[in-house]
Amino acid sequence: MFLPDYYEYCCRVKIVAGHNALENIPDLLADLNAKKPMFITDKGVAGAGLIEIVTEAVKGVDTSVIEDDVPPDSDLRVVNRLAGIYKDNGCDSIVAIGGGSVMDTAKGVNIIVSEDAEDLMKFSGAGALTRPLRPLIVLPTTAGTGSEVTLVAVIADKEKNIKMAFTSYFLLPNVAVLDSRMTLTLPPFITAPTAMDALTHAVEAYTCLAKNPISDAHAGIAISLIANNIINVVKNPSDQNGRLALANGATMAGAAFSNSMVGMVHSIGHSVGAVCHVPHGVCMAILLPYGLEYNLHRSGHLTAELLLPLAGAEVYAATPPEQRADKAIEVIRTMNQDLYDATSGRHARFFSEIKDRDGKQMVPEDKLPAIAKTALGDGSLLYNPEDMDYDDMMVVIKAAWDGVPLDRSLIKRG
Amino acid sequence: MGYQEIKPETKPAKKAYVSLMLWFVGRAIQAAAKTDDQVKKEFEGLPDRFTFSLGVMPQGPYMIVGKDKNGAVKYMGSNPHAQKVDLQMNIKNLEAAILLFTFQEGTAMASCRDRLILSGEVPDALAVVRILDIVEIYLLPEIVAKLAVKRYPKWWSPVSKNVVRGKIYIRTLLGI
Repeated sequence: MFLPDYYEYCCRVKIVAGHNALENIPDLLADLNAKKPMFITDKGVAGAGLIEIVTEAVKGVDTSVIEDDVPPDSDLRVVNRLAGIYKDNGCDSIVAIGGGSVMDTAKGVNIIVSEDAEDLMKFSGAGALTRPLRPLIVLPTTAGTGSEVTLVAVIADKEKNIKMAFTSYFLLPNVAVLDSRMTLTLPPFITAPTAMDALTHAVEAYTCLAKNPISDAHAGIAISLIANNIINVVKNPSDQNGRLALANGATMAGAAFSNSMVGMVHSIGHSVGAVCHVPHGVCMAILLPYGLEYNLHRSGHLTAELLLPLAGAEVYAATPPEQRADKAIEVIRTMNQDLYDATSGRHARFFSEIKDRDGKQMVPEDKLPAIAKTALGDGSLLYNPEDMDYDDMMVVIKAAWDGVPLDRSLIKRG
Repeated sequence: MGYQEIKPETKPAKKAYVSLMLWFVGRAIQAAAKTDDQVKKEFEGLPDRFTFSLGVMPQGPYMIVGKDKNGAVKYMGSNPHAQKVDLQMNIKNLEAAILLFTFQEGTAMASCRDRLILSGEVPDALAVVRILDIVEIYLLPEIVAKLAVKRYPKWWSPVSKNVVRGKIYIRTLLGI
């Protein structure tokens, strides 16, 4: 058990989870003294019929204000427009139904309506918010980002071509409702990378430098829930118990990583996303085994401990202690291969095989230096157990592009 | 009924030690930017006229380092209010600063333990952390530097490292 000299932990979101959790929303709103919520979602969620499920479940609640205009990347103009609708309709709370973008948009709207602000930019950065915002209830429809328990919102100003980050404990939702019906329609090829995103949150939270006992507890259970259910759910998307397990795993992983941060898997993953527009979960699935391999000489003892939640007690006990870290990495690689097979090849195993809708390679080899350079400026690098320079980045990125294990002789040790 | 005014505890010796370290490290960064290629390259990647401060909350001490109009890296004194500062790296309190400057804790570990507050662009902050690491490797004996940085570069040539170290010490002491 690792106990740091000092750590901070905060997660003040009420979690309501179950197969019929949505039915509790009227009581939850009443507890928050909210009478007229604004429902914010996106067209994908609405098209999947999830809004009907929610409105059916919350009978008696005023559902007259439902906005489904959130784009895939949260956008300042949309935030401003939705804030105007909130005010015009006299709403007093927000219910966000969707993934990371919907939740970030809802958090942005909440800043404007609570602070009666004209310019959202005034509240960007850390610590600009100084008082509680209006009640916010979130219903995640993917089991991945963990945004339902994070204190961050990222909103793009497309006119100025910038992304603004907002960080404050006041951005934490009041309640996160995890209901298996909300992720039941998620297609297998999206379920796979989003769950791998959550797994990466938990694994990096457990193995990186800012770990602490409380985030460790969340991370360990999250890994177990995800590893035990991911393949089954991708093969049997209507498995409601499996869906609920993944939703719980993603939320616990979110609570873990938002307190103990993440490392190089996210540094490189953010960079691949920025340079080549590859979905975040796909990057995480590919990079996770490489991150663990690179850090093996620093955090191998922690990776070894993860074999238990990843593979179960029998495999853990049957594996000699000195081989457990390598075995844990092998389990994750096997997981990616199984997801590739279960999705008929739509779950990518390495960067060179990622294709866009037109069949074009999304990560051309000549972009690797740009990815490495951008990754050196990512804040999560600070929390990685081992240092990385440009050459180290290139070694890792090239191996992840080729789909071959890392050549450990190339890792520079201090 | 009157109450006795509670005055914050002062720790003049610790404050003086941290002030001295900040002054020395600030001048050493200026020296390293002239003598070490990696530090030079990191500064070249930062914006024109970029300045950063490293200091202790709430009342200092501080050091400010930046690029002047010709791109030369300069130690710019200890008053962060006297000039524009693009990146502020503030240590939350004096005790945390002592941990950092007695090398019981590196910059990365200080961040992990929430002892540093950054205000500015994250990629710039990471470049500054890399610069501080390199400067510490030059200034400190290996056994101490290993505590201060995440990875001690054993692959550096000992001869050239010691030559650059000598140059940095001379330039730091002379302020050139």
